[in-house]
Amino acid sequence: MLAGVGSADDTDPMPPSPSPHVLAAHGLRKRFGTTQAVDGVDLVIEAGERVGIVGPNGAGKTTTLLLLLGAIEPDSGTVDLVGQRLPDGRSAAMERVGFAAGYLPLPDRLTVLETLELFGRLYGVEHPRERALEILTELAIDRLADQRVESLSSGQATLVGFAKAVIHHPQLVVLDEPTASLDPDVAMRVRDRLEHMNAEHHATLLLTSHDMREVERLTTRVVFLRAGRILADGPAAEVVDDAGYPDLETMFLAEAARLRDEAV
Amino acid sequence: MVQRNLRVQKRNPGHWFLLFVLPFVDALLFGSIGVAFGEGDGPVRLLVTGILLFHLIWQLTLAGSLGLLEEVWTRNVLNLIATPLTEREFLGALGVVGLLRTAVSVTVIAVVGLGFYAVAPASAGWVLVPSAAVLLLFGWAVAVFVVGLTLQYGDSAEVFSWGTLVLLMPLSGFFYPVESLPAPMAVLAQAIPLTYVFEAVRHGIDHGSIAWGQLGIATAGTLVLVVAAFAFLARQLGRFRSEGWVTRFT
Repeated sequence: MLAGVGSADDTDPMPPSPSPHVLAAHGLRKRFGTTQAVDGVDLVIEAGERVGIVGPNGAGKTTTLLLLLGAIEPDSGTVDLVGQRLPDGRSAAMERVGFAAGYLPLPDRLTVLETLELFGRLYGVEHPRERALEILTELAIDRLADQRVESLSSGQATLVGFAKAVIHHPQLVVLDEPTASLDPDVAMRVRDRLEHMNAEHHATLLLTSHDMREVERLTTRVVFLRAGRILADGPAAEVVDDAGYPDLETMFLAEAARLRDEAV
Repeated sequence: MVQRNLRVQKRNPGHWFLLFVLPFVDALLFGSIGVAFGEGDGPVRLLVTGILLFHLIWQLTLAGSLGLLEEVWTRNVLNLIATPLTEREFLGALGVVGLLRTAVSVTVIAVVGLGFYAVAPASAGWVLVPSAAVLLLFGWAVAVFVVGLTLQYGDSAEVFSWGTLVLLMPLSGFFYPVESLPAPMAVLAQAIPLTYVFEAVRHGIDHGSIAWGQLGIATAGTLVLVVAAFAFLARQLGRFRSEGWVTRFT
């Protein structure tokens, strides 16, 4: 049962940011040693948008996400996240931002319920235990509540990580490879849930994925990165048309091949 | 975060060993050495008080450094960064857990000392109160320093969480006057604030009065160390963000 997100609980979704943009990044640059990981990214995301950042490995997707979350400081450029200028406003901004990554495990030695309760408290949810049980039920994984996190399958852990990211009804949900280790059925449930959050609660989505069909289905806008720069930005159909490809997957494969050739 | 740390430690047998078994064994070891080789009750009082104070500082240091290491081992650092949790709140939680750990292990040693060797925890007199305060401050400075190292080196910094105080224990005369050390080491000992705390404690045990001069030197030295530790941590946190060290923990 995936419907009913945020219904009848103690933590109504956050009001929209007073800032006109959910996220505004200008002139972001980041270099690690000799590698220019991000090279002049400008990105403005409005409330309710569903944005996918795509590009081959090494294009700068994860670094860009970490810059946007304030986990890494840019060499130059600015980030305004839900109306807060980073890095000073990071803590206040994160009250309204949820983050999950398919590759990121959850802390050991806690049960699923304890884990969600912990993050609910960190996010300032008023009744974290009740909200944790609610979100587990919404994701149809309430049977896992008393299971220790380290005993979960990778798919179950990803779902719990997703529950952690949305426990506080974030205004912006940032997901790095959200369905990477999920079977098709569970991945579909996560996608349904994301669409529901976006449609019913006007939650803004920002995600990276290597599944181009997922990106085409979930997003209303694609930001295609190449070597830390934005190669194309727009609706998926427009991006592939302009680049002369039949679909996003073909464009992705062509870019990956181009990168390989350059490396040789 | 305090609740998370307590739950994690409760479910990790290693922490039970550190909190209960090790203090018990240490108290037994040093108490019995005092009985075997000392004349009168002076040596056993000195040794039991020494190991009690060692655990006071060591447990706090361990809680601080192992608290972050636990997040490193479980790759939870980025999860925490993506919440409103601030660095101060994180460190504050580790400090609270450290004080709780200290209370438990010191109680174990006090019970063993009193029950088996008739050494009351307060046998050194009132000097223990300011001494304990300086030691806790010193332990926290070491913990903060190790947290700074852990941000850069990850679990490779684990050895410092265990080893720093073990290194300082012989050098700063927890159980004996530093004049007993080889001459070059005795000179080195003069630069360690802990040395003056333990001189003050020994003075309290021997004479029943407080050596304020020694405590003053210890406090001044410890405050310098605290400032240096926090400056080091601030620098490391800056590098953590600017050099993208978070990616080492994902």
